[in-house]
Amino acid sequence: MTRILLVEDNEMNRDMLSRRLIRKGFEVDMAFDGKAGVERAKAGAYDLILMDMSLPEIDGWEATRQLRAFPETKTVPIIALTAHAMAGDREKALEAGCNDYDTKPIELDRLLGKMSALLPAKPA
Amino acid sequence: MPKPRRTAKPRARRSPRVSHLAHRQRALLRLSTGIAGAHDEAGIYDAVVNGLHDEALGYNFLALFVLDPATQERVMHSSVGWSGDPNLRVAPGAGLSARAIADGKLHYTPDVTRERNYVASLSSGSEVDVPLKVDGVMVGVLVVESTEPNAFDAEDFDILTAAMDQAGIALARVGLLAEERRRADEHAALFDSMTALAGDLELSRVLQVVLDRAVQLLNSTGGEVAIFDAQTRELVVSASANIGKDSTGTRLKIGEGAMGHVARTLEPIIIPSYHEWMGQSVQYADWTVHSVMAAPLLIGKRLVGAIAQIHSDPKRVFDGEDLRLLNLFAPQIAVAIENARLYTESQRQKQYFSELVGNSPVAIVTLDTNKTVRSCNPAFERLFGYTQEEATGQILDDLITTEATRLQAEEYTREALDRPIAGIGQRRRKDGTLVDVEVLGVPVIVDGEHVGPMALYHDITELLRARQDAEAANRAKSQFLANMSHELRTPLNAILGYAELVREEAEDRGLNEFTPDLTRIASAGRHLLTLINDVLDLSKIEAGKIELVAASFPVRRVIDEVSATVEPLVARKNNTFSVRCREEIGSMHSDETRIRQVLFNLLSNASKFTERGTIGLEVTRAGDEMLFAVSDTGIGMTPDQQAKLFEAFVQADASITSKYGGTGLGLAISRRLCRLMGGDVVVDSVLGKGTTFTVRLPITAPAAGAD
Repeated sequence: MTRILLVEDNEMNRDMLSRRLIRKGFEVDMAFDGKAGVERAKAGAYDLILMDMSLPEIDGWEATRQLRAFPETKTVPIIALTAHAMAGDREKALEAGCNDYDTKPIELDRLLGKMSALLPAKPA
Repeated sequence: MPKPRRTAKPRARRSPRVSHLAHRQRALLRLSTGIAGAHDEAGIYDAVVNGLHDEALGYNFLALFVLDPATQERVMHSSVGWSGDPNLRVAPGAGLSARAIADGKLHYTPDVTRERNYVASLSSGSEVDVPLKVDGVMVGVLVVESTEPNAFDAEDFDILTAAMDQAGIALARVGLLAEERRRADEHAALFDSMTALAGDLELSRVLQVVLDRAVQLLNSTGGEVAIFDAQTRELVVSASANIGKDSTGTRLKIGEGAMGHVARTLEPIIIPSYHEWMGQSVQYADWTVHSVMAAPLLIGKRLVGAIAQIHSDPKRVFDGEDLRLLNLFAPQIAVAIENARLYTESQRQKQYFSELVGNSPVAIVTLDTNKTVRSCNPAFERLFGYTQEEATGQILDDLITTEATRLQAEEYTREALDRPIAGIGQRRRKDGTLVDVEVLGVPVIVDGEHVGPMALYHDITELLRARQDAEAANRAKSQFLANMSHELRTPLNAILGYAELVREEAEDRGLNEFTPDLTRIASAGRHLLTLINDVLDLSKIEAGKIELVAASFPVRRVIDEVSATVEPLVARKNNTFSVRCREEIGSMHSDETRIRQVLFNLLSNASKFTERGTIGLEVTRAGDEMLFAVSDTGIGMTPDQQAKLFEAFVQADASITSKYGGTGLGLAISRRLCRLMGGDVVVDSVLGKGTTFTVRLPITAPAAGAD
C-alpha cells in the first residue's frame, strides 16, 4: 500500500483530505507542524509527502529544505500545498525542493493526477 | 450825438504862406515817420491824426473813422481835439463825411454852419473829408476841421490826399503782416494742439485744449467737439467751450443738429443763422447760437467725430476762410480721437493681461534673452518666496534650481528661447525647500523679435502626493483583496472537501437520495471559488504580482481545447458554435494558460448573453500579432455600456448581475491579462444585434511580463 505523509496544521483540511485519500486506498500518516513533519518523514519511509507551506514551528519551505538535506528523505516526492496563489509561490516551492505544487481548495482528481505522476507505477 | 466839450485851442491867425509850406513838410514828415513806426492798424491811425495835427495849419480837429463792414457805420478809431466817445459810431449817411464814403472823393466844406447835414459836434468853421482806401477798397474817412471857415485850400487837399495814400499803403502792408502773423498763430495753435495730442492722452482734456485753440484762432464765440460712438451710432459731445452751458455728454443722433448733419453728409457746413435752419436740434433750441460752422472728423472715410464752432453775435457769420481754418484742425482732432481710442484699447488689453497675469494662480516669470528675470507675478512670489524686486535682474536658473535640477532647468530655458517646452521637475524656493513643479516655457515674440521666454510653474506637490496616496491606497486594496480571498479559500476548501467526501460516502452506503443536495453544495461552493479566484486574479494583477509563463505552443491546439471546453456552455442556450482557425496559423510564444483564461472568459460571456444565436471564434494573423475575435448575436450593448465595460466590478447593468450572474471582473481581468502580454482586447457592439470582442496579442510576448 502506498504510504503518504500529510503535513497540515488545519484540522479540518487535514481530516477531510486524509479521509478522502484513505478512501482512495492510500495509507495516510499525519503531522501537525513542520518540525513534527520532518521527524515523521525521516522515520517513516513514505512514498510521498503532501506538505502544507504555512505551518507553525518551521514552515513548509524550510521543512522541505531540511528533508532534502537528509539522505533518507532526499528523493521522497514532495507536493507543496498552499492557499497562496501569489506570484512566486510556485517557484519558491520548487526552489525549496518540492517536486510539484497544488493550490487549495484541493480538487482531488487534479491532486491524484499529480501524485500518480510522481509515484512509481504500482497499484494504489 | 453828445455835445462834447471843445478842447482845441482858439484858432490862431493863419500863418503866412512860406511858413505854411514848412509846417506842411513837417506834418508830412511826422506822418511818414509815425506810419513807418506803426506795427498795426491802430498805430497807423494814430500816426495819421497825430502827424497831421498842426494848429498853425488850422488842422485843429482830426478824426479817423473806419467803416464797419457789417453795419456800414463809421467808427472813430483815432482822434485829436475830441473829448467825446473815442469809439464814436456814425450811422450810414449821417454827417458830412458820408459824402466822401459815398463817392470816394475828397470833400471840402468852407462853412459848416451852412450845411444842414452837419452834425454839430464841434464849433467848427470849415471841414475837409478825405476817403481812406486800401487796395482801392473804401475802408474809412479822415475828417479834418478848422475852427475858422474857409481855412483850407488846394495845397491842404494835396497834403491830406497824400497822407491818406500813405496811410492806405501802410494799412495794406500791415494787413499783410497781420495775415502773416495770423498764419504764424495758426501754426502755433496747431503746434500747441499737436503737442497736447502727443503729450497728453487723456482724450477729454486733449479735445478741450484743441477746441479752445480753435475758438481762439477762429475768434468764434465757442464750439464743441463730439466723438462718434460706433456702438450706439450717436455723437457724444466730449468738449465744449463757451456755448452757453456745459454741453459735455450731450448725445446727438446722426442727422441731428449741425454736427449730426455733417456726420451724415461727411461734408462741412456753414449755417448763417442756426435758429432758422431746418436741421437744428431741439437740444440747442434754447441756446444763444447764431452762426454755426461744423465739420466731420474723419480717419480716411471713417467717421470718428465732429467739431462745431458758433457765433452768438448775430452780426458775425462764418465764411470760407473760417472753414479753411477749421479744416486745418479737423484732421488733428480726428487723429487725437483715434489715437485715444487705440490707446484706450491697448491700455484695456494691457490691463486685461496684467490682471490675468497678476491674478493667475500659476507662477509666471518673463525673461530676457540673457535668461535674467524681467518680471514675475504674485503667484511666482508666493511659490518661490522671492519678491519681484529680488528676482528682477537675476538669472532665473541661479534663483530656483538645485545642483540636481540645474542642467534640466538650463536646458528648458535654452529651448524656450525658440520653442515651447513642457516638463516636470523639482525647483528650489528661496528658503531652500524643494517644490515639485510642472514647467511650461514659451518664447515671447514681439514684432517678429524674440524678446526672451516666459515660463509658467505649476506647483504639483499636492498632485504628486495625491497620486502617491492613490497608488498606495490601490496597493492596499489589492493586498486586502488578496488576503481576503486567501482567508476565504481556507474554509471553502473544507466545505468543498467535506461535501465531496459526504457525497462519496453516501453513495457507498447506497444513500442516493442525498446525492442531489450534496452535489448542489459542491457546485455552489465551486462557483464561490471561481468568484474568489477572479478577485484574487485581479488583485494580483493590480498588485503587479501576476506570473506570466511564456512558452511556445501551436495556436490551433489551444483553440481546439478551448472550443471543446466551451462547447457545453454554448449549447446550453441552443446556440451554434462556429470556430474558424486554420491549421497553418502557426505558433505563439506567450502565456498559454492566460490566453485560455481570456478566451474562455469571452466565450462564456458570449454564451451567457446569447440565446438561439451564433457564437463565433475566429483566429487570424496580422503581422506580428494574433487576432482572436469572439462574436455573438446576443443582446449587445449601448456605447455608454461599452465605455465602462472593462472597469473592475462594473457590469453593463446592475440587473445583469442578478439575471446572468458573474462578478463583473471577467472582462477587467481579460483586458489586464492581454495588456500584460503586450496586447489588448477591444469591443464592438450594437445593442440588440450582438457583440464582438477582439483580442490582439503579439506572437511573441514581451520578455518582462511581471516580477
